Amino acid sequence: MSAFSPKERLLRVLDKEKIDRAPVVCPGGMMNAAIVEVMNRTGHTLPEAHHDDTLMAELAFDVADYTGFENIGIPFCMTVEAEVLGSGIDVGTLACEPKIRQEAYPSVSQVEFKEPQALLRSGRINTVVQAAYRLARKHPDYPIIGNLTGPISTAASIVDPMSFLKELRKDKENAHRVIDYVSNVLIAYAQLMVDAGVKVISIGDPTATGEILGPKMFEEYAVPYLNKVIDGIHELDAAVIVHICGKMQSVRHMIPLIKGDAISTDAMVNLKRLKEDYPQLTTMGNLSTYLLEGGNYEDVSRHTRRLVGDGIDIIAPACGLSTSTTIQALQAMTQTVKEL
Amino acid sequence: MRELKAKLFQDLSDAVVDMDEEKAVETSHQVIDEGIDAYEAIEKGLAHGMDRVGELFDQEEYFIPEVLICSDAMYAGVEVLKPHLKGDEQGEKKKVVIGVIEGDTHDIGKNLVKIMLETSGFDVFDLGRDIPPQQFVDKAKEVGAHIIGLSTLMTTTMDGMREVVRILEETNLREQFKVIVGGGPISQSFADKIGADGYAANAADAVRLARKLVS
Repeated sequence: MSAFSPKERLLRVLDKEKIDRAPVVCPGGMMNAAIVEVMNRTGHTLPEAHHDDTLMAELAFDVADYTGFENIGIPFCMTVEAEVLGSGIDVGTLACEPKIRQEAYPSVSQVEFKEPQALLRSGRINTVVQAAYRLARKHPDYPIIGNLTGPISTAASIVDPMSFLKELRKDKENAHRVIDYVSNVLIAYAQLMVDAGVKVISIGDPTATGEILGPKMFEEYAVPYLNKVIDGIHELDAAVIVHICGKMQSVRHMIPLIKGDAISTDAMVNLKRLKEDYPQLTTMGNLSTYLLEGGNYEDVSRHTRRLVGDGIDIIAPACGLSTSTTIQALQAMTQTVKEL
Repeated sequence: MRELKAKLFQDLSDAVVDMDEEKAVETSHQVIDEGIDAYEAIEKGLAHGMDRVGELFDQEEYFIPEVLICSDAMYAGVEVLKPHLKGDEQGEKKKVVIGVIEGDTHDIGKNLVKIMLETSGFDVFDLGRDIPPQQFVDKAKEVGAHIIGLSTLMTTTMDGMREVVRILEETNLREQFKVIVGGGPISQSFADKIGADGYAANAADAVRLARKLVS
């Protein structure tokens, strides 16, 4: 019998308290494990579950139940925020996640600023919040992780991304205003999730990478606005996981400036070394999603053991999972962590 | 005259590197006013500047915002010079059909590859993002492409790349086009596995690969 429930264990590690072993999680959102095999077995399917809070809650629990991940994560996409901010969404299929069909604005100078509270009554915000409420009541031992699309990625989902990236240099004033506005909306959305019983918010911000932005823009935009959102969530008394995509090299020295309670990284980052260089960080990751998609039980298990052996604080996939990943591959990962 | 020409070419190149669209346009007009060859001005001025930008990108001095702004300056200059190109200077380019595979909304990397290829003298047909595999093949047939470039940033859409190669094989067109792949989750071993002709890790790599494959 484990000393801690999955919820206690994750919250303790995020709070830098002692635990019996690392938790193994898959946060949801950009990194969700709503794989086709789970949906086919249970009949709780996407894309329907993006729009229906009962179904969303059921599928989110199915994922934890079938794969062994020690959290429940919602939603299953990165488009909830952009949709309420006015972008057109293609809701995707069973195997393919929703995506932005058309950004709402051609340029940062043309963004209309709306009242966050009014926005939050629209789109699928309430679906996610209701699903969180159901899950928190029904599964008190599991941590419910609410997922946010980070401020830079959300801004680049409402403004044409090519213009947006240029305007980070050419129209700084409006770029800052837009990202600040988006950050306020994200905090208000996080508050609704926390009020519904979410204890952990995971932020994925795939546009905010060193490879795309470079260190200067990362410092000027990514760090301050991520921190603004993190501070806002901390005020709500919830913990924050931040996932940084990409190789991270050019921005590595800034990672300790990000105030999240855990930093999750992509597979190419050497997490062990990151931890050695910045012992204050709580690290999360970073099992290759190709390895998981490959599905070889022994390979997955071996690499998972290495991560645990390296002292990685929270074991998780390194990136968004392929929806064709098998239950068996994910179980290889979760069982290995639990048996060690 | 020769000195002036060299100076204007240098100015064009610098305008691109300095992200100075206005200067690129102004200098291009000057090139025309002085009766200097437009083709040479593109080659030795604007494209030269973009080559330097590519190097700065390789060295991680410039990142995507910078490269995009530089390429705007380059294209602005090209727009001025283009009407003054002689007919035979506009054709004869190797053609590349490029796009982001179905299901994927990310096209930043693809746009970068497109810019770099165009700068390097390729004629690029950009299908955009979220493109079904069949459409790559159709477009490549239609324009008589030499290369099909496939990009993805998501593991979920990698299968679409395999599908393009499969369609080419089934329709006996595989030998007609070179298929190159790239994007975050792609690796050389994945390229080998699906039978692509090559893999590029970044935009500069894609240019080198494309040049090699059509030479």
